[in-house]
Amino acid sequence: MIRLERVSREYRTGAHVVHALREVDVAVERGEFVMLMGPSGSGKSTLLNVIGCLDRPTSGLYRLDGEEVTALPEPSLVRIRREKLGFVFQTFHLVPRLTALRNVELPMVFAGVPAREQRDRARRALDAVGLSPRATHRPDELSGGERQRVAIARALVMDPPVLLADEPTGNLDSVSGGEIVKLLGDLNRRGRTIVMVTHDEGIARVGHRRVRLRDGRIEPGEGP
Amino acid sequence: MNPRDLFGLAGGALAAHRVRTRLTVAAVAIGVAAVLLLTSLGTSARDYVVRQFAGIGANLIGIVPGRVETTGGPPLAAGTERPLTLDDAEALVRRIPAVTLMAPLALAVTSVEAGGLSRAVTVVGSTPEFVPIRALAMAAGSNLPAMDSHSTAQVCVLGARLRRELFGDRNPLGEAVRVAESRFRVIGLLAPKGMSLGVDLDEMVLVPVANVLRLTNRPGLFRIAVQCRSFEDVPALEADVRRVLADRHGEEDFTVLTQQAVMASLARIVGLLTAALAAIAAISLGVAGIGVMNVMLVAVAERTPEVGLMKAVGASRGQVLALFLTEAAALSLGGGVAGVVLGLAGAQAVEVFVPALRMASPVWAIEAALGVSLLVGLVFGALPAVRAARLMPVEALRGRR
Ligand SMILES: Nc1ncnc2c1ncn2[C@@H]1O[C@H](COP(=O)(O)OP(=O)(O)OP(=O)(O)O)[C@@H](O)[C@H]1O
Ligand SMILES: [Mg+2]
Repeated sequence: MIRLERVSREYRTGAHVVHALREVDVAVERGEFVMLMGPSGSGKSTLLNVIGCLDRPTSGLYRLDGEEVTALPEPSLVRIRREKLGFVFQTFHLVPRLTALRNVELPMVFAGVPAREQRDRARRALDAVGLSPRATHRPDELSGGERQRVAIARALVMDPPVLLADEPTGNLDSVSGGEIVKLLGDLNRRGRTIVMVTHDEGIARVGHRRVRLRDGRIEPGEGP
Repeated sequence: MNPRDLFGLAGGALAAHRVRTRLTVAAVAIGVAAVLLLTSLGTSARDYVVRQFAGIGANLIGIVPGRVETTGGPPLAAGTERPLTLDDAEALVRRIPAVTLMAPLALAVTSVEAGGLSRAVTVVGSTPEFVPIRALAMAAGSNLPAMDSHSTAQVCVLGARLRRELFGDRNPLGEAVRVAESRFRVIGLLAPKGMSLGVDLDEMVLVPVANVLRLTNRPGLFRIAVQCRSFEDVPALEADVRRVLADRHGEEDFTVLTQQAVMASLARIVGLLTAALAAIAAISLGVAGIGVMNVMLVAVAERTPEVGLMKAVGASRGQVLALFLTEAAALSLGGGVAGVVLGLAGAQAVEVFVPALRMASPVWAIEAALGVSLLVGLVFGALPAVRAARLMPVEALRGRR
């Protein structure tokens, strides 16, 4: 499903060059639940952003679902973001002026889904994350855990095969964090490929496999 | 993205950032209003000057019989030339569309009697147009009736002093006066005016022109006065008059008088005022544009992370642009309309305090102010959005610019 070969990502700030990723090779199969771990600054977010087509690698190859992504022009990236990828951010990134329901509808707005269908699908997605009662609330009226569930509903509403989550429990207490992880586990069991960043070894055990980063490199580690 | 979503999202963003929306609308409105107010001040000042000059007859030309070599002054000799007739005068009106007013003029000095009192005065034979052409005003009663210029209706209008001398405090309207053996009914009284072109307009009696021609027993007019809309049309009018009369007479046996010195300085002054007006308009448009630009740049640039989020959930560059253009268009249009209302109201207020200035906001100024604010608003409302939309989503989310 996901193939990265010798992917590097450098940040140039003035004279400095930060090597956030150094020739990383990653492969994730369809239906896998992979936990991405490593110390702060090791390049986890950078890697997940590259996988999510939110960032371009400086060098290397990235193949998603058989398609060579690194060389694609912007319009194709837009299509891939719409159809293949759902992204959950550590800081939620909900639009504060929109209700939970409208936030979930946002990807469908850009995909040109008809209005009536938007509403139905957004309700079902909120239902799936157990947030139907909060549909008309704005983000500032929701708890952290509820916001993250709205974000997950938004990531799922276009029904993408791949779900990427960058520390989705990072800002939550252990109870709501546990609920989110359980939710992701359920989604994975229903066939979705999931890559998730976490610092929590306990949570990491939920995944099939752990990939560890250090200084932008994959640490040789446990097999499947 | 369907229109409902486009307008819904754009409108929601405007409503959510109420302070910013108001500031932007205010910036556009103030810019547009300033442009309107300044240009209408400039235009009305120019019009004021032009009107003052029009009062002294800058948009008037006179035609007198006889040919003189040097321009200006009356013809030197009344030789064998053909007279200027009433038919000549009417031909000018008929054949030259630029003529707004025309008055044939015949003069006679004779005695005027009423109630046993008699005065020797100038009898002015003309048409009702004589009154507006000479910038006279009626004090009471009515002007000569509109009529065929060959009419010899026995009615007259009295100058202010003559009326007092003949009638004292009595009301002369409807009374009869005797002008060289004929009886004329007084139908109107002129407001005081004074001397003009050698005729004491306060001590005259105005009668239908054909009466004077019959009195003097000559077909020739003393003068034909022709007025056009503006002094700028005078040269064209002069050429037309020459053509029409020469055509009728077979040769140029008449003289056209214009106020050339007045016109030359008027043209200079008006040219200067117009240039100043253009500068005022350009500067105020520029200032307004920069104001709008700043507010827009700041308002949109701080939303770079929002653009990043939109792109992350699948928005294309075009969709981002459409959203921000819609917002910018709403802001600039709203501000523009508010500005026009504000500017027009301001112009009215100026007129209340300075009635001499007839404030009229020129249509081109409204168009230019609206156009520039809309253009600047759209460009600078969309530009930062375009830049943000070019970034990869993470970069935009981070708020980097
Ligand atoms: N925009 C940027 N400009 C410069 N350097 C950056 C930028 N983004 C990330 N980096 C650097 O790249 C490295 C990897 O960053 P990244 O965000 O991927 O770390 P992370 O593993 O997600 O850390 P954390 O667990 O704290 O989220 C860090 O050294 C960071 O300083
Ligand atoms: Mg991170």
